[in-house]
Amino acid sequence: MGVKPAVLLSLLLAGCTGEHSILDPAGPAARDVAWLWWGMLSAFSLVFLGVVGTWLAAFRRREHPERSPSEERRLALRWILGGGILLPGVTILLLLAFGVPAGQRLLPLPLPGGESPRTIEVVGHQWWWEVRYPDEAGEVVTANQLAMPAGEPVDFHVTGGDVIHAFWVPRLGGKIDMLPGRVNRIRLEADDPGVFGAQCAEFCGAQHARMHLHVEAMAPEEFEAWLAARRSPPAQAEGHDVARETFVEHCARCHRVEGLSDGREGPDLSDIGSRATLGAGVMAMEEGAIARWLAEHQRLKPGNHMPAHDQLDTEALEAIGAWLETLRP
Amino acid sequence: MSETLPDRSSEAQRLHRELEAVWGNPTGWRALTVVNHSTLGLRFMATGLVFFLLGGVLAMLVRAQLALPDHDFMSPDIYSQVTTMHGTVMMFLFAIPMLEGLAIYLIPKMIGARDLVCPRLTAFGYWCYLFGGIILFASLLLEMAPDSGWFMYTPLSSGEFSPGLGSDFWLLGITFVEISALSAGVELTVSILRTRSPGMALHRMPLFAWYILAMALMIVVGFPPLILGSVLLELERAAGMPFFAVEGGGDPVLWQHLFWLFGHPEVYIIFLPAAGIVSTLIPVFAGRPIVGYGWVVAAILITGFISFGLWVHHMFTVGIPQLAQAFFSAASMLVAVPTAIQVFVWMATLWLGRPRMTLPMLWILGFLVIFVCGGLTGVMLALVPFNWQVHDTHFVVAHLHYVLVGGMLFPLLAGLYYWLPLVSGRLPSERLGRLGFWLTFLGFNLTFLIMHVTGLLGMPRRVYTYDAGLGWEPYNLVSSVGGFMMAAGIATVLLDLALHARFGRPSPRNPWGADTLEWSLAMPPASYNFASLPRVETRHPLWDNPRLGAEIARGEHALAGSTHGRRELIGSEALTGRVRDIIHLPTSSWWPLAAALMLAVVCISLLMRLYPLALAAFMAAGVLLLRWSWENGGHPLAAPLGHDEPVDPPLHSRTQDGPGRWTMGVALLADGAFFLSLLFGWFYLWAVSPRWQMPASSPLSLALLLGAGTLLLVAVGWLERRLRALDAGEDAGLAAALYGIAALGGLHLLLAVVMLWQAGLAPTASAQDAVLLVGLLYVLLHGGLVSLLTVLQARRATLGYVSARLPLEPRVVALLWRYQLGSYWILAAATGLLPRVIGGGP
Amino acid sequence: MTAHTAWRNPGHPVQLLLGLTIWSLWFVALYGGLSIACAVAPPAPGQGALTALNLWLGLFTLATLGALLWLARCCLSAVRREPVRAARFIAAVAAGLHLFAAGGVAFVGLPLVALPPCL
Repeated sequence: MGVKPAVLLSLLLAGCTGEHSILDPAGPAARDVAWLWWGMLSAFSLVFLGVVGTWLAAFRRREHPERSPSEERRLALRWILGGGILLPGVTILLLLAFGVPAGQRLLPLPLPGGESPRTIEVVGHQWWWEVRYPDEAGEVVTANQLAMPAGEPVDFHVTGGDVIHAFWVPRLGGKIDMLPGRVNRIRLEADDPGVFGAQCAEFCGAQHARMHLHVEAMAPEEFEAWLAARRSPPAQAEGHDVARETFVEHCARCHRVEGLSDGREGPDLSDIGSRATLGAGVMAMEEGAIARWLAEHQRLKPGNHMPAHDQLDTEALEAIGAWLETLRP
Repeated sequence: MSETLPDRSSEAQRLHRELEAVWGNPTGWRALTVVNHSTLGLRFMATGLVFFLLGGVLAMLVRAQLALPDHDFMSPDIYSQVTTMHGTVMMFLFAIPMLEGLAIYLIPKMIGARDLVCPRLTAFGYWCYLFGGIILFASLLLEMAPDSGWFMYTPLSSGEFSPGLGSDFWLLGITFVEISALSAGVELTVSILRTRSPGMALHRMPLFAWYILAMALMIVVGFPPLILGSVLLELERAAGMPFFAVEGGGDPVLWQHLFWLFGHPEVYIIFLPAAGIVSTLIPVFAGRPIVGYGWVVAAILITGFISFGLWVHHMFTVGIPQLAQAFFSAASMLVAVPTAIQVFVWMATLWLGRPRMTLPMLWILGFLVIFVCGGLTGVMLALVPFNWQVHDTHFVVAHLHYVLVGGMLFPLLAGLYYWLPLVSGRLPSERLGRLGFWLTFLGFNLTFLIMHVTGLLGMPRRVYTYDAGLGWEPYNLVSSVGGFMMAAGIATVLLDLALHARFGRPSPRNPWGADTLEWSLAMPPASYNFASLPRVETRHPLWDNPRLGAEIARGEHALAGSTHGRRELIGSEALTGRVRDIIHLPTSSWWPLAAALMLAVVCISLLMRLYPLALAAFMAAGVLLLRWSWENGGHPLAAPLGHDEPVDPPLHSRTQDGPGRWTMGVALLADGAFFLSLLFGWFYLWAVSPRWQMPASSPLSLALLLGAGTLLLVAVGWLERRLRALDAGEDAGLAAALYGIAALGGLHLLLAVVMLWQAGLAPTASAQDAVLLVGLLYVLLHGGLVSLLTVLQARRATLGYVSARLPLEPRVVALLWRYQLGSYWILAAATGLLPRVIGGGP
Repeated sequence: MTAHTAWRNPGHPVQLLLGLTIWSLWFVALYGGLSIACAVAPPAPGQGALTALNLWLGLFTLATLGALLWLARCCLSAVRREPVRAARFIAAVAAGLHLFAAGGVAFVGLPLVALPPCL
């Protein structure tokens, strides 16, 4: 903050952007906060330079005018009242005046028209995300990816499945904790379609670092299509019968695949083939990636709660991987 | 000892020998019995330094791991242990004990006393700190260290998600260490209020003493919530009582409230003494009194209070209603006012003085730059919407290091360089000192200024690694380089300190031209500090009378020498500093070490789940503590009644309001904070826990509840009547009456036990029963203790240690009786009566 | 001695703690009252800040503010009367603290006029 302004500025200009950058807002809530930041940074830099400058000047001063004790007292009182009370007093009043309205935007208040925004439920687990779209036409469940309509406010209802996690899409707005036993609400909006990084923000154990959520905002009609495609069971690809059987035997207790199994311990895999990443952001989804994940997941993400699959040979894992890759709406 | 006396006259030498015989520390094995505040203050600081270095090594491990993306220098679980321990060690084993050590060392010297008012408590506190610290740190060597982050959020830290011993090490070790903080808090408070130099009225007290007074009181009120939280969480882990588990009617957020109810004041507990160093040094190096003494006092008190109203700003993302968040946000911003007052007072003092740039002042300037920066980001963080963005990111990590390192470490090092000549009689090297400063200062800013950006780019805290391509790589690398640079700076400072002890130039007397009393002492100070106790009627005793040191050494002031072989000092009135009594202090003793060792056994056996052993050791510790308290007042080993006693002023044990009563009062303040935290837990869970189940009627029998309370009322009434008689000089039948009162207390206890038995609580099934159980155990424990103490008082009355001439002790115990009466009835009303009146349910 | 042993006296050291203690109690009551009211009977979110709850909390805040200002005045007028130097110092600092506490009550209570209570 102003200590080495030139260095700081050049660093900032070089790197304000980024998938997770607060300074690269993509929604109204995040934009408010970004402006708050730049405003506070400028004002506080001035305060900082003023205070430190005066201190240094006090050391460098050569002449010391003779002052009577009462003059000294008056001067000191002026400094204390001005710098100690007026300066912080005005600053915090201004901050409160800017801060309270900015915070109100994130409140899940009823919309002006009276209708309520779309709701998406997100549940944090050690160390993956469960995302649910409640809907009269049928609930859609997915994991580690979040699709949302762009250009309209969305209410997120979040909770913790085991320990406390925090839901945070930095480019859209503030974070909110996901507490077991409670549902917290936050309203976010993306201006335009795009992909945003998100990562668990409350320390949740050994793999806190490997808990990414792939957030994608889509044009509303595209989003409706995305949702509709996931309401029906995935098309059954030809072959893969052995893989399916092995899956039912070894994996179904924890994983759900629409129309096949109903496990709830681990991520829902019904549309896994369509996801961008695997293992909550550990690796990119590409051909053969699932098989590799199945074989090496305890090395790739040590301590994750999926047991090692030592009882299955490479061939079986590859078969399961190949089949899972076909699961896409 | 090779101290140079301020005066080498034969009279000074004679006094020195006489006092040294009474106050000198024993050597060899018996050095373990030392209770002297100078020795123990230095021990605290040396131990704190060791933990600081260990914590620093952990920090370097963290920076090494984060230097590169996808670095596999450490495994994720080791990384979690290392970050958790770094925070824990720095906060609990370095910052607090270090500052306590400094206060323990300096306060008596600054206020003109020969020791703290409870010397054995100082020793006990040190041993608790040392043993607790060793137990806690041992977990890292055993690779079983706590790994849930230094604020140990449940349910991550609870039995289900942290099944190992890590959390237990944290909870038990920290509680053990906190006993030490509390004992220091209690005795520093009483010492500052009751043992200042004659004439040193409150408005003439050195500002440092005001800061320490505030710190001590904040420890007394601020630590109990965490102790309660730790006890509850350990009960949840060990016995399955669901205080923080939603399924059983508990709430994980309760832990956060209890933790931050302690955790935020803790920041100011660390900052205030450091600011006290700044307020002490700046006038000395500006060569003029501080401007606005009263303003600073007001700012200290405001900080102390407001800091208890900010805790929720660590929990802005928990989902608390926004209006409530706005209250805490506003309160958090409010704390900028007292801080700004201090900054501008310091500034005006420098402006109106003729500042000298010395090594200590260099560190003060470093403090200013870093702390003002940290304070400003703190105001930003108080703004709720901004907080929602940067909370739990590296921005917060950067902010907290600016506040803690800038606000504590830099002033501490300034103070260290400033008081070093007093402790060692030598001056450090100016050149090496400056190199150390610049390395530390630049390294620090390189690490943490850049880290603000890392946070703004979205990097969460406590991640063991991060992917390449998010734009975080260069910043992390720079931070790591800066971290190692800062480590080199600290190493240079330590080298300077080590070299100075051997090669440092001998320091002249009062080398900085300071104004406060500690610089009137020999360098290093003698065990008794002051050969005679001066009257002080100014804020700047040494500026007004530069020859004070020699006068003191020659015995020209009060209580020169020691004719009766007991350690004595003057007790004064809190407001005016008028002489009230002569206080006789106990000498070296094995009891503190023995009691602390026994508590270490309790701690270790709880860790190993050997509960019968833990219970036995707990009882043994209680017996040792009571045995320790036996050697007090009129006991032959303390100050037995004699015929030629001073009557004006009298000995403290012959008065009705000696320091022991004050100590009990302050200790009860801590106890009350613990109790109020428990009540807060009860009402909090009742009001907002998601699945709290209150049965339709209270499980506590109304008759027994009221009966036990009435017995207590009768016992206290009886005691008060006896006290009034004692004031009137009437002590016939005192022993019998005390036995009778103790018997009533026993009966009260019996009814309460029956009530607990009848209630048929199911503490592992419901949080409600669990809280009820803890509350009842709390009053039972206090009821048992107060009855036992009264039996001992009765015995002492029989032996003649308590009488109309020795009326102090029953008055001390009476405070505990009143406390028990109050806390019992409050608990009865909250848990037994209120649910009957307004019905259960959430 | 008796002149400043009574804690109500503006020169008694307890005055240093009184104003901020009142601030703390007010703060606890405000936060506690809000939490309990929101748990028991939350007003509809559409009402905004104009709810009975905000009104009651606001009145309570004003009452506390008035009490603190009155205390500040008492201490301030005592500064001139008090004969003992130490007690005069206490009264002056206490007056400042009462004033600060009053300012604190006003500032922290300010969001009551702008924010809905239970969201």
